[in-house]
Amino acid sequence: MDDLQFRRNIYADPNTSDSDTLAAKHSDPAKRKFAEELAQLDQQIAQALNIDVPDDLSEKLILRQSLASHQQQKKRKRIKLALAASVTFVIGLTVQQLQFSHAYSSIADYAIAHTNHEAIYFSNQDEAKVSLASLNKKMASFNGSFSEQIGELIMADYCRFDGTKSLHLVFKGRSSPVNVFIVPDSEHLAFSKDFANDALSGFASQFNQSNIIVVGDKNEPLKQWQQKINQNIRWST
Amino acid sequence: MATKQTRYEALVKALHSDLYRYAYWLCHDKQVAEDLVQETFLRAWRALDSLKDEKAAKSWLITILRRENARRFERKRFEMSEYEEATICDSKATGAEQQIENDWLREKIAKMPEEYREPLVLQVIGGFSGEEISQMLSLNKNTVMTRLFRARNQLKEALDEQPKLRGQHNG
Repeated sequence: MDDLQFRRNIYADPNTSDSDTLAAKHSDPAKRKFAEELAQLDQQIAQALNIDVPDDLSEKLILRQSLASHQQQKKRKRIKLALAASVTFVIGLTVQQLQFSHAYSSIADYAIAHTNHEAIYFSNQDEAKVSLASLNKKMASFNGSFSEQIGELIMADYCRFDGTKSLHLVFKGRSSPVNVFIVPDSEHLAFSKDFANDALSGFASQFNQSNIIVVGDKNEPLKQWQQKINQNIRWST
Repeated sequence: MATKQTRYEALVKALHSDLYRYAYWLCHDKQVAEDLVQETFLRAWRALDSLKDEKAAKSWLITILRRENARRFERKRFEMSEYEEATICDSKATGAEQQIENDWLREKIAKMPEEYREPLVLQVIGGFSGEEISQMLSLNKNTVMTRLFRARNQLKEALDEQPKLRGQHNG
């Protein structure tokens, strides 16, 4: 290794671990002397560069960090609280919505759902056991009555379905039960005169305070049922 | 959380001196150097999870500090050419003779072009190899070695002429 290259290497890094440079250093006393000089210079440089560090710097750094992270935590806590409050609020709203709103918006939907919901409890083979007198007793709360027995009545009872109190009558039909609902007129149920789905159809008549809905299998003479009921019903004021 | 805290504190204790010295030689101002170190460690705390290898901590912190220093220039243009000798640090530990020499050398280092000084500081204070320095400064390794050579060369030449200078001062 020539002298110039050796000097360059030592100048660039006095503590070099380059094997060629080290070998050159050990083989030539002049080079060794030069390397030692440079090592001394480097010590001086290091000493000059090692300025005093403020004594409390590390404490300051740790303090500042803990203050910053404390603030961050506080902020995070606040966000968490706000989040929890919002979630609670939304849950509250939803529950209220579910509890106090109606799942059905029209008489048709309501009647079909009600019929399907209770269909399993009745069959056309059930014994007709409700008398006109007991029916009229129940009708009294709707301010109505029937003037004569209009069919074989399997069941007559109050139902609270989807938040609406109604009187549910189940008559024996030709092959399947015919349902009659007496539902008080209410704002949230849109009135429709007739309606149907795949299996059921229905007809509704509107009176002063109540609606009467006839729902049953499509094959039942529902129109006749409706006529018969309308002829027989009497409303007291 | 606690482990992150201990990790951070260990990092501060082990490296704050080197970082402060490096910052000082970057900006020549004790107060600015302190601010830079503060800012660097605060950023380091936030990003501590991204530091996987503890051995890389020093170069990681130095990278943050360099970026932080560059940001300082974006915010505000400092007049770096006006270098005030009064701001040179002094150390009390060494003897009077040594003291004068240190001061003299500091002045020389401070007046050295930044591109020579920075690799020198990284090598002497940081203990980084030429390879590592070239990565940190995104320079070619040969360029780094040349700059290191020139930096020492300048100081050596200055030192060799020094007796004359000092004689003038004293006389």
